[in-house]
Amino acid sequence: MDAAEVRDKVKEVIANVTGIEAGEIADEANFVDDLGLDSLSLLEIAVDVDYAFKLGLPEERLQALRTVQDTVDLVLAHRVEAAA
Amino acid sequence: MSQQDRVVITGCGVVTPLADEPQALFDALCAGRSALRPLTLFAAAGGGRRRAAELTDFDPRRDLGKVNVRPLDRVGRLATVAARRALAASGWTDERRAEHDVALVLGTMFGSVRTVTGFDHRALTAGPSYVKPLDFANTVINAAAGQTAIWHGLRGVSSTLAGGPTAGLQAIGYAADLVRSGRAGAVLAGGVEELCAESFLAFDRHGLLGDAANGSRSGPVPFDARRAGFALGEGAALLMVESARLAAARDAPVLAVVRGHGSAFDPRRGDDEGSAARALARAIAAALADAGLEAGDVDAVSASANGSVSGDRREALGLLAAFGDGARELPITAVKSMLGETLGAAGALQTLALVEALARGVLPGIAGLGSLDDDLPLAGARAASRRLDMARGLVTTTGFDGNVHALIVERPAP
Amino acid sequence: MRPSVVITGIGLITPLGSGRETVWRRLLAGASGIADVTAFDTAAYPVHRGGEVKDFDPAPYFERLAPASVGRASQLAVAAARLAVADAGGVLDELAPERAGVVMGTTSGEPREIERHNDRLLAGDGAAGDGALASRYPCHVIAGAVAAELDLAGPNAMIPAACAAGNYAIGHAVDQLRAGRADVMLAGGADAFSRITYAGFARLGAIAPECCQPFDRDRKGMIPGEGAAVLVLERAARARARGARIWAEVQGYGLSCDAHHMTAAHPRGDGAVRAMRQALADAGIEPRAVSYVSAHGTGTAINDRLETTALKRVFGPRARRLPASSIKSMIGHTMGAASAIEAAVCALAIADRRVPPTINFRRPDPDCDLDCVPNEARELEVAVAMSNAYAFGGYNASVIFRRSDG
Repeated sequence: MDAAEVRDKVKEVIANVTGIEAGEIADEANFVDDLGLDSLSLLEIAVDVDYAFKLGLPEERLQALRTVQDTVDLVLAHRVEAAA
Repeated sequence: MSQQDRVVITGCGVVTPLADEPQALFDALCAGRSALRPLTLFAAAGGGRRRAAELTDFDPRRDLGKVNVRPLDRVGRLATVAARRALAASGWTDERRAEHDVALVLGTMFGSVRTVTGFDHRALTAGPSYVKPLDFANTVINAAAGQTAIWHGLRGVSSTLAGGPTAGLQAIGYAADLVRSGRAGAVLAGGVEELCAESFLAFDRHGLLGDAANGSRSGPVPFDARRAGFALGEGAALLMVESARLAAARDAPVLAVVRGHGSAFDPRRGDDEGSAARALARAIAAALADAGLEAGDVDAVSASANGSVSGDRREALGLLAAFGDGARELPITAVKSMLGETLGAAGALQTLALVEALARGVLPGIAGLGSLDDDLPLAGARAASRRLDMARGLVTTTGFDGNVHALIVERPAP
Repeated sequence: MRPSVVITGIGLITPLGSGRETVWRRLLAGASGIADVTAFDTAAYPVHRGGEVKDFDPAPYFERLAPASVGRASQLAVAAARLAVADAGGVLDELAPERAGVVMGTTSGEPREIERHNDRLLAGDGAAGDGALASRYPCHVIAGAVAAELDLAGPNAMIPAACAAGNYAIGHAVDQLRAGRADVMLAGGADAFSRITYAGFARLGAIAPECCQPFDRDRKGMIPGEGAAVLVLERAARARARGARIWAEVQGYGLSCDAHHMTAAHPRGDGAVRAMRQALADAGIEPRAVSYVSAHGTGTAINDRLETTALKRVFGPRARRLPASSIKSMIGHTMGAASAIEAAVCALAIADRRVPPTINFRRPDPDCDLDCVPNEARELEVAVAMSNAYAFGGYNASVIFRRSDG
């Protein structure tokens, strides 16, 4: 899965939680400021991303996610770590 | 109770398969239209023969706008939409709610059983780390009420009542008491239930469903001698229960007066016909006493009978115990003949139908009613709707597990 | 004037044991009922501690019903109800069954029925439907089991108001008695230990790894628990006429809704403040009359801070000196039973002139600068006690108890 595919998948997860069409979610969108998400929805995105990519990441790294880009970067970085 | 302390109903909101607003719903009930249709939400034994009063085209965004409804499950969405409609119908605008807290009392039998089951299922299959946080918020039984309160900014007393098919009526009685005691001025009260595999298959397992029986007819018929079980339905109904003083101060039209209500319990939980009948009779007597009325003051009954072989019988015997021989000619309707058994929402739908009946002078029939049991006092039951001048009506609910509740509504003075 | 309603019987089934005397003694001793969870395997969870009712045998409490015919929450409720009636010395003697009713609260009802259903589904045995989901799961069966077991035919209600449900039940029962709809009401709450509840709170990161430390600077969360409490309530005139021992009077209550968030309290505690003020107004007293607060005190970082904020808004500077302890430090958060157990604590504190501590308290938190009665019970002349409970759905409920005259 390349970066574009990861981005699409992340946006699909966010779309399911927010009800916003994936195509309307900007790469730089901030979960709280731009998408208006509360703590439960943020956590739901973290859980779903972790599950979708089978990351098994520690809680702190999931909690630190703030933007769509953060999330994509985290997934890509983890895949590099996992491959190394 | 003085006029000023009276509790009135000033508006209703509904989500039902027959109609999206109370007048259209009442027209459909008077026309004898059945909400039963082939089941599509999930699979059940019997396949295409299985029917339920299912909402096939429910879209909360039609009422709530293009907003994110993911935090609400189907039960929460039904309640939130019914609340929006009831607030609009009763004139409780955003501006008015900003000045005066509105309360909410919601009845439900199963709550979000489907969400709870799915939440646990995911914990088992994916692991507990992958459960859905948004779903966890909806696993509590008061979730639909909490979501509804959040959505509409209802900051007054908020409560949820269970009680099986009595829950919606209990909620209206509880709301009336909140108004009388001054704990609330205006309360949205009623109930909600969704149709889902968990409840449907459970009732089916007990052999209680009659939706596929007697194939040629419209569906299970309450009080009919050939009844073989009930059909499940779904929906939500909320009534604005308000102090007469508050309604008068804001020039709100009064649809009906809540005169009184009463609760009782059958400790044999249906195993003994006599005990069950006495429990309903006690609830009715308590409602009459609460209202300061006598049995002869009741002009019609909106019963909870749903086509259940034993449940309908218990309710009829309870009416006989309460009204004596007067019960035999008492005009009676049973809207579950058309709406199915909507469990937590049912008591509110029964009340709403009776409120409309008093206002219009028409009592809906019991759709499909053919022959009656010889020993049941039901000469006042009819298949078709009829014109009838009614000042006061009684709503009765008989639950599966011993709960019974009765409530009396009155046509407002002109 | 509206009639006074008093508590004449207390029945408790808790992680610290069963029965009023045992539980009260252990609460005053600062004992802990928290241990490793046994109801299910917690290997896949990041946390493992819980407040379970240990070695619970329902059989001795059941005479009419078969214990196995109902779920665990109903069993706990029936046991608490039996103990409460026994504690109230002959309260049901010569009373027509229809003059006695039941109001119970719960958070989750009988969630173990769903757990069993899913276990069967995954084992490939359950596709045809599970009758228990209709006959044992819907939560009204809890109040129904109590009434059927004790042959109580009066008003019956089940109020699933989540973690404030016990207070809701008590308030509703008081109203039934004041309105003359019954002569005796059993009111309380019950919840069974559930992997559904545990998984949810664990996922939110709300469960503490070891213990519950309400108001401590290093608090790490709540500990899920289970239990039941039932109070026998009757009008004071009847209680006195039959020479009953009176633990306390229920003086008033207040309910409100945050209408803010499903799981997070209002950031300024608005709803909690409204509930407390309504309870005070309903009781007809000023805040200064309150001598003890049974805090909700779950032990999560945010909740304890917001509760402190709310108490300060109601009680002013005196909030810092007003004893306000949380027994959740000892038994965990027993969900729908919590505020029912805490109501019993308020009544016993009034009668016994002692208040239980908040245990596991080591370091003060400037954001929670209350007198939480740290670690040791205290002798205190409690004339009036307030019990606070807050719940998912933004539900808030405060109940006020006072020493009964005479």
